Amino acid sequence: MNSRERVILALNHKETDRVPLDLGGSAVTGMHVSSVYLLRQALGLDEPGTPVKVVEPFQMLGEIKLDLIQVLGVDVAGINSLKTFFGYKNEGWKPWTTFDGTPVLVPEGFNTSPEQNGDVLQYPEGDKSAPASGRMPEGGWYFDAIIRQPPLDDNNLNVEDNLEEFGPVSEEELAHFGHEAKRLYEETDKAILANFGGTSFGDIALVPATALKYPKGIRDVEEWYISTSARREHVYKIFERQCEIALENLAKIYEVLGNRVTAVLVTGTDFGAQNGLFISPRSYRELFKPFHVRVNNWIHENTQWKSFIHTCGSVWVLLPDLIDAGFDIFNPVQTSAAHMNLSELKQEFGRQLTFWGGGVDTQHVLPFGTPDEVCQDVRERFRIFGPGGGFVFNTIHNVQAGIPAENLLALYETVKECRDYPMQ
Amino acid sequence: MTTIIETINEKVILGDDKGVTSCVERALAEGITASTILSSALIPPMSEVGRRFENGEYFVPEMLMAARAMKAGLKPLKPILAKSQIEPLGRVAIGTVKGDLHDIGKNLVAIMLEGSGLEVIDLGVDVSPAQFVNAVHSGIDIVALSTLLTTTMPQMKAVVETLAGAGLRDRVKVMVGGAPVTQAFAEEIGADAYGKDAGAATRLAKQFLGIP
Repeated sequence: MNSRERVILALNHKETDRVPLDLGGSAVTGMHVSSVYLLRQALGLDEPGTPVKVVEPFQMLGEIKLDLIQVLGVDVAGINSLKTFFGYKNEGWKPWTTFDGTPVLVPEGFNTSPEQNGDVLQYPEGDKSAPASGRMPEGGWYFDAIIRQPPLDDNNLNVEDNLEEFGPVSEEELAHFGHEAKRLYEETDKAILANFGGTSFGDIALVPATALKYPKGIRDVEEWYISTSARREHVYKIFERQCEIALENLAKIYEVLGNRVTAVLVTGTDFGAQNGLFISPRSYRELFKPFHVRVNNWIHENTQWKSFIHTCGSVWVLLPDLIDAGFDIFNPVQTSAAHMNLSELKQEFGRQLTFWGGGVDTQHVLPFGTPDEVCQDVRERFRIFGPGGGFVFNTIHNVQAGIPAENLLALYETVKECRDYPMQ
Repeated sequence: MTTIIETINEKVILGDDKGVTSCVERALAEGITASTILSSALIPPMSEVGRRFENGEYFVPEMLMAARAMKAGLKPLKPILAKSQIEPLGRVAIGTVKGDLHDIGKNLVAIMLEGSGLEVIDLGVDVSPAQFVNAVHSGIDIVALSTLLTTTMPQMKAVVETLAGAGLRDRVKVMVGGAPVTQAFAEEIGADAYGKDAGAATRLAKQFLGIP
């Protein structure tokens, strides 16, 4: 059985030979570049000092190269947009060093400026003549969006101002998607997880538009959350137009790559916080669900792709709605959030949703536990999530920086040990 | 007949910032004192907002709107209150710890504390232990630390240790909160309390200060 078959069977809730593994298939199932470096060193894959590529420069995710994929037994490969979070391409690699001293390679467009206090700024499209759109605090590991909110006139809101980044898919991007899908499908046996963009309605990571030089519209995070209540009609119209554009794009994308793709990451909007939902269930149903339904209906009526939703946080009460909206895959399964009990999740929703994530607690156990505690945690998750298929192992969201190397080794050694069916 | 105070209560809860501003100005014009408006019209509805948030009736947008409405109501009162030199019920220094730029949760806690009649010195984000210590030197009862990232949780311990090193630990209560923070972590680092959310943090602060 190859990786692709393994993942497809798992997504259809069948046990295969072993639980599939994702690492690096998307920008929410990856690993911070510092941890990739540590892991590669610990596994003896590189000479000390060998830099790792930063393939996602906002969260500073590291490249998961083929040798690591093979050593770990990863089953998934990813397709992403041509341009990164900051609007430049992953090309023209140059050396950089993170605050914790990790040697890395960053894209040519990764142009930074130091602030007086030691913070590092990044720019949309790498253009330092534009206002900076990202900040990494001194000693930090990631960039955060710099809020660039032009004055808002409630009597003069324009839907198009929040759609600048959601245009028709370009010929260049279509060629990229088609080429990557063909390459990964024919040259590897991996399942393909694609993030085409355009369908993540109200994704707070995207609202500040770090890739745009002079964003217009509602770009402030707090203002956006308030707008989901106070300017609901306006936000609805933004989503309506965004959805129209997205469906046109998906049709073109499907024409170039067909069913080579296994799953599509439709949305990364976080509906949950640590202790509960970010917005009310009513807000979800009125504002987001209609568009999730439209996108998922299109996917299921026109393709064989599975639909993937990423939402952090305590979303137990929302899961029936997410299933009703047509999602097939749920990520990252943040069991450290309130009311997200492993057994209850599997029992209630495990037949309708594939849990793509949930493999280890990344808020407490992986960073602060002992290697033994990491092993125990991972074993427990295989035991609970594994039976009956519907489980693709990934950590709960990206592996962060600052994880001890022995914990990273314990994690993947335990995966290797526990992933075979039948579950022990 | 609904009084102007009750109208302000309702508009804060509903997050009507423009309505709160105009009603507060009307109340002042009618001769109601700034301190009465603060204690009767602005503070009580924030307790109700906190209660609704803890009970899962209110969510982040509603909290933000109520906070904005309350801030709008405070604006015309602040210069009057400053002149009358009314002592706040307590002083809190709040900030997101060094290395972390996230602040929505911290801002909600800050406004809820202010809504309880406390003076809040908001140190912002990416705040070093030294900055917290400086704030304590200026006369603080509670230090409230926030973080969203697991990678910056150790900074909370650093603040507690820096306060101890400066001989200030016994002068203040230290409260911690944020997504990855737990009661166990608070105890481990020697904090005095863990606030699960803005409502809980406000209750804890009032307990520390003996405010009903």
